[in-house]
Formats: sequence, structure tokens, C-alpha cells
Amino acid sequence: MKGLAKGLAVTLKTLTKRSVTQSYPEVLPELPPRSRGVIALFEENCTVCMLCARECPDWCIYIDSHKEVVPAREPGARDRTRNVLDRFAIDYALCMYCGICVEVCPFDALFWSPEFEYATDDILELTHEKDKLREWMWTVPPPPALDEHAEDPKELIQARKAVEKAEKAAAAARAAAAKAEENP
Amino acid sequence: MTARTVGVGIGADQLDTTDMVLNIGPQHPSTHGVLRLRLVLDGERIVSAEPIVGYMHRGAEKLFEVRDYRQIVMLANRHDWLSAFANELGVVLAVERMLGMEVPQRAVWARTLLAELNRVLNHLMFLGSYPLELGAITPIFHAFREREEIQAVMEEISGGRMHFMFNRVGGLKEDLPAGWIGRVRHAVATVRTRLSGLDDLVSGNEIFRARTRGVGVLTPALVAAYGVSGPIARASGVDFDLRRDEPYLAYGELADVLRVVTREEGDCLARFECLLEQVHVSLDLADACCDRLDELPQGPVNLRLPKVLKAPEGHTYAWTENPLGLNGYYLVSRGEKTPWRLKLRSASYNNVQVLTELLPGCLIADMVAILGSLFFVVGDIDK
Amino acid sequence: MDLTPAPVERTPVDLPPPRLGVLSRLAPDPVRLVLNWGRRYSLWVFNFGLACCAIEFIASSMAKHDFIRLGVIPFAPGPRQADLMVVSGTVSDKMAPAIKRLYEQMPEPKYVISFGSCANCGGPYWDSYCVTKGVDQIVPVDVYVPGCPPRPEALLQGILKLQERIAVENPAARYARKLPAAALGRPLVAPPTPPAGDAR
Repeated sequence: MKGLAKGLAVTLKTLTKRSVTQSYPEVLPELPPRSRGVIALFEENCTVCMLCARECPDWCIYIDSHKEVVPAREPGARDRTRNVLDRFAIDYALCMYCGICVEVCPFDALFWSPEFEYATDDILELTHEKDKLREWMWTVPPPPALDEHAEDPKELIQARKAVEKAEKAAAAARAAAAKAEENP
Repeated sequence: MTARTVGVGIGADQLDTTDMVLNIGPQHPSTHGVLRLRLVLDGERIVSAEPIVGYMHRGAEKLFEVRDYRQIVMLANRHDWLSAFANELGVVLAVERMLGMEVPQRAVWARTLLAELNRVLNHLMFLGSYPLELGAITPIFHAFREREEIQAVMEEISGGRMHFMFNRVGGLKEDLPAGWIGRVRHAVATVRTRLSGLDDLVSGNEIFRARTRGVGVLTPALVAAYGVSGPIARASGVDFDLRRDEPYLAYGELADVLRVVTREEGDCLARFECLLEQVHVSLDLADACCDRLDELPQGPVNLRLPKVLKAPEGHTYAWTENPLGLNGYYLVSRGEKTPWRLKLRSASYNNVQVLTELLPGCLIADMVAILGSLFFVVGDIDK
Repeated sequence: MDLTPAPVERTPVDLPPPRLGVLSRLAPDPVRLVLNWGRRYSLWVFNFGLACCAIEFIASSMAKHDFIRLGVIPFAPGPRQADLMVVSGTVSDKMAPAIKRLYEQMPEPKYVISFGSCANCGGPYWDSYCVTKGVDQIVPVDVYVPGCPPRPEALLQGILKLQERIAVENPAARYARKLPAAALGRPLVAPPTPPAGDAR
């Protein structure tokens, strides 16, 4: 009987607390920026390198493109070709939300957005085309700040290295100049 | 098999019964997942039992062979869906060993922390579902409230609620977000204070104790014979834990925090108590990892990898202490960017096989109690 | 020891297709509305929990997300008492007949939510030799919820979507469907037309 009473005491204690239920359709959940909800495409950055489509374990990214010739600016120079994106689609029915495509994209054209409300009654609608993927872009949150012990961003390290290098070079130049002054 | 006897006169012949074959599952409310059990019953008593596996077989091992090492990570975390992080860990540890790669220290500690949080997530699920199978509905609500706390911090760092996909060969995917460790501490503290509620609800309950004490006793000999591992083996007094006996990650330095929980009885109650106690240990370990992560100097959490990652020719076996038991990956590489073979040793597969020995002689009412106390994940059985 | 009884020869019985009574045409619109309203908010759900997604299904029935608020009741003792089947997880070829069979046991009107990538079309196991590539190959699906696994909120949204559909549902239209579930509901996806001048 004692165990039962103890259990009921827990229930009674919980009864007095505020409920933890989130009333979803009225109150949207607060999602962390890294949450993997849907992939957004920043079309302008895409160079049709096809890395994402090739690295996708599911092959759920469809890319069509064609080449366009950009005529040379100066006479005598060679004409350049440029890839133009015709179709970029992600089949969310197949996607397994691993994020490899976002990770491999070398030009930052793909981003995670925490949006999740796109259930549908037609499976074909789950293949989001370029326009739809571009729309998701508006929902992409800024990435979170990193921990204080995290390594500094690559740019900072490179800049620091460049400064060090320049300082070293300057010091060497100064030393050389001093040497030259000492014994002309 | 007992022959069907048709009695003519009055006598014992008439009372003879034939055995009945009863199929439990594959879809059955009392089994989590789609395990099918074929029981032969003599009245209320189980004569023999055979788990029929394969309803969840998805051919993961074959699929590993056509995926590169990053893609494997994402497939590997799906076979035991309650301990995704621990599964990823096995793969990356194997590949890192093949490559002779030294992982940055912060990554090692962060991995340890996440693995322990994952263990808590896994155990909470079973701490909730086991009483549910025995007829107590309330505990699972408490267990899931706690799970949500931890899932929130896990989602914040990795972006996924269940499949974290946060391990990479050579470290982790990204660094920790600012202030995350503080939130982990808070979540751990919340779960720790609320765990006593779960304890009060379940383990003090007379009905629960009556249904589990002395039921389904697993002997150490059986544990050894069937290769049972994890909390189930430790509940039978088999004191074996890879975290202590063959330390990987940062467990070697956590030896003073890590307590290996064992029980001697080997019955359902002991298995449940083992699980509950392990949650406490894991929470302590998580706290220790947080402390350590705060002290570590600035540094990276991953290594720069070549564009195409190829493991050198050879083979290796990496095993980890998953929440449910030993999880091993035998990796054979022929120097390609995909493994030639990646054999998976999953804990649940061995743990479930012991049912053929445990169930015979039991009453059918105890079947659910024993089945539930073996803490298995069907995907882990069938791969 | 073979305990399986000798197989009994059974001739398959063709079940009559579900149809509406003659009087249904006379039923006024308000009746239909009331019926739809009733169906919408008492969806007894039968969880076909197969894999990872089943855990998220359980999570959405728990205190934090609590889909009973939306009138989804997860206490159906079996398929015969259920209105909604949520297929959550990988459907393997070995499991597929069981799903079909349990679906057929559900009384009309019945709805199916395909929860997660695996149930939608195979997901991570798209190239596996033993996984059914989508539960819609065996049972008709009403709502697809994307995700791997989807968040509990995504399931709630899928349920809301289904409820919207039920609200405007017309039984006559629903049962006019003659095609079996496995038949193609629409033509196959055509390959893209190659641009002019492409000499491939």
C-alpha cells in the first residue's frame, strides 16, 4: 500500500504544477537555428557543380542545367561558358535530412531552415522545386554563436597568420636595413 | 509433440490436451516494434518459445557497402533508433582507427558527453515503456517529459531530435553553440531531480514488484552462452562494461565517476533497477564531461579531411558500450572509399535470443514482463 | 516437431466493395457536415509503429505535444476499432502483407497517414533489397508527413491537414474510387524534354 501511496503523491505533486503541453497550432514551437526542418536554396550562389546531388545518399536532389556562352568582353579574348540552373528540386519524400548536401556545398547555396509544416496529401507536392526552395530561404535563421572554447573562424586565423607573416617580413627587412647601415 | 488422444471412457485420457501454438506479433500492443514470438503453450504454461526475427530487416549491412564513410554514419544511426549517437560512434571509431587518426581533445569530450546524454534518452524510453507494458500508464508520461528536456539540448547542438548525424570521421560536425554547456547542465539537473518521481511511481509499487521479482531469472551461465550484454547482463551479476574494461573516448579519465551498476538477482526487477541506476551514473558522467569541456583550452572539434576519404586496406573491429549492450563494427576495407564489408554486431540480437531459454516454464502472463525487461530495439535485432 | 497444422484449402472470397445506400443521395448537406464534423474530431488512431518514427509518434501522444487535444485518440484496441492508421517507419517486404491485412480490417471510413520518409517512399533504404518503397504501394495514403523522423509537430500538422480534408469530404466521391491501391493513380513521371539541339 505504501508504494501505491508514494506513487499517488507524485501524481498529486504533478497535478499542482503547470502543464508542459504546447498548444501547437496556436503557439508555434521555438526551434533552435540548427534544427533540420527543410533545406533552402539560395539560387544566386549555386554554380551547378552537382556536388550535393552526387553526395546525397538518397539521390533525392534533381538538378538540370545548360551552358550559356558569355561573349568575350574585349576583342581577341576567348568566349566564356557559364552554367545556368534550369531545375533544382529536392524530393522531401525521399530526403533523410542528413545535411550532407548543406555540408558539401562549396558556395553556400544550401541552408537548413527549421520549418516543418509542409505535410501534404499528394506525394508529388513533396518535391519542392526551385521557387519553393527559394521561398524557404526567408525562414533561414542566422547560425548560433559558437562556444568560447571553439576554434576561431578560418578567416580570423588566416588574417592573423597574414599579420604575423607581414610582421616577420618587416622585422627581417628592418634587420637587413640595420645590417646594411652598420657595414656599408 | 503430444499426440491428440480421443478418450472413450472416463479417465485421464479425456483430460489430455494438445499443445497450442500462439503467435505474438508481429504487430502487437505489448511488444515495442515488430518482434514476432511463436509460443507453444500447454494451458497457461509456455513449453517453448521462438523469436522470429526479420520483420524489420532492412539490409543495412549491404547498403553500407555502397556508401562512403560519411554516408554510412547517417545509415548507421538508424538501426538502433534509440541510441543513434552511440551507433555513429562505432563507425567513426573504426574508421579513425584504420586511418590512425588522432581526434582533437575537445571532440573526444564532447562525444563522451553526447554519448552519455544519448544513453539517458535511451534508458528513459525503456523506464517509461516497461511499466506501460505491465499496465502502469503514468510513468511513460514522466519519462517522455524528461526525454523532451534532453532532446531539446541535443537538437540545439545537432539539429536532430533522434538521428543526430553529428559525428564525422575525425571529430564532430560543428562546434558547440555558445552557452550550450550551461543548458546541458540545467537539463541534467532537471532530469536528476525528477527521476526520483519516476522511482517513487514505479519501483516502490507493490504490484510492479510482485510482477517482476523472481520472474525470468537469467543466470550468468546463460549470459555467457548467448553473448548477452549491457544492463541485462549486469543485472545477472556479469560485471562487464566496456567503458571501464576497455576504455574508449574519454572514459579512461572518468574512472572515478563511472560506477558500473550490477545486480545479482538477474530477474526482471533487477534489470529495471539496473537501468534506473545507470541513468543516475550517466547524468553524473554528463556533468563531469561538462566540467571538463569548460576547462579545456581553445581548440578545434574536427580534423580537416581529404576530399575523398579512403580507409587503407585492412580490417579492424571497434566495439562500444551502447546503451543496450555491446555494439561492434567489423570493418574490412580494400582501400576504396566505401568499405568492402562492414559487419554489425548489435546488442539486441543476442539479447533477444535468450528468450528461447527464459520463457519456457513461465506463465503466459509473465511473458510480457520478461519480454519487456529484455530492453530491445527491433531495428537493432534485424538491422 | 512441427506444430503447424496441415494447410486448409481456402477459396478466396471477394468482399463486396464499400458502397453507399440508396438513401444517401437524399441526405441533406447539414447531415453530411455534422457527420464530417464528428469524424474529424474523433479519429481513433491505430499506430502501426515500425521503426524510429514510432518513437516520435509516441512522443507526440505524450504530455508535451498531446494530440488528444486535436481529437486523435490513441487507445484503439485494434484495427477493427480504428479510423486512422498511422504507418510510422520502414515497411519491409516481410511486413507489407500484415499492413495490408490490418488495413483491410479497419472499418470504413478509414484514413492513412504515412509518417516519415521510409513510409513515404523508402527513404534511407531506397536501394535496399527488402524494403517496400512506400506504403502507398499497398494501401491508399491520405496525408504524407515528410521528415526522417518528422518532428511531433509535423505529425500534428499532418493531422490538421487530414481534418481539413475530412471536413469537406463527400462520401459519394470517396467511394467512387474504383482503383485498387496498387494501381497507378496517375501516369508515370515523364522524363524531361531535352533542350533543342541536344545531340545525345
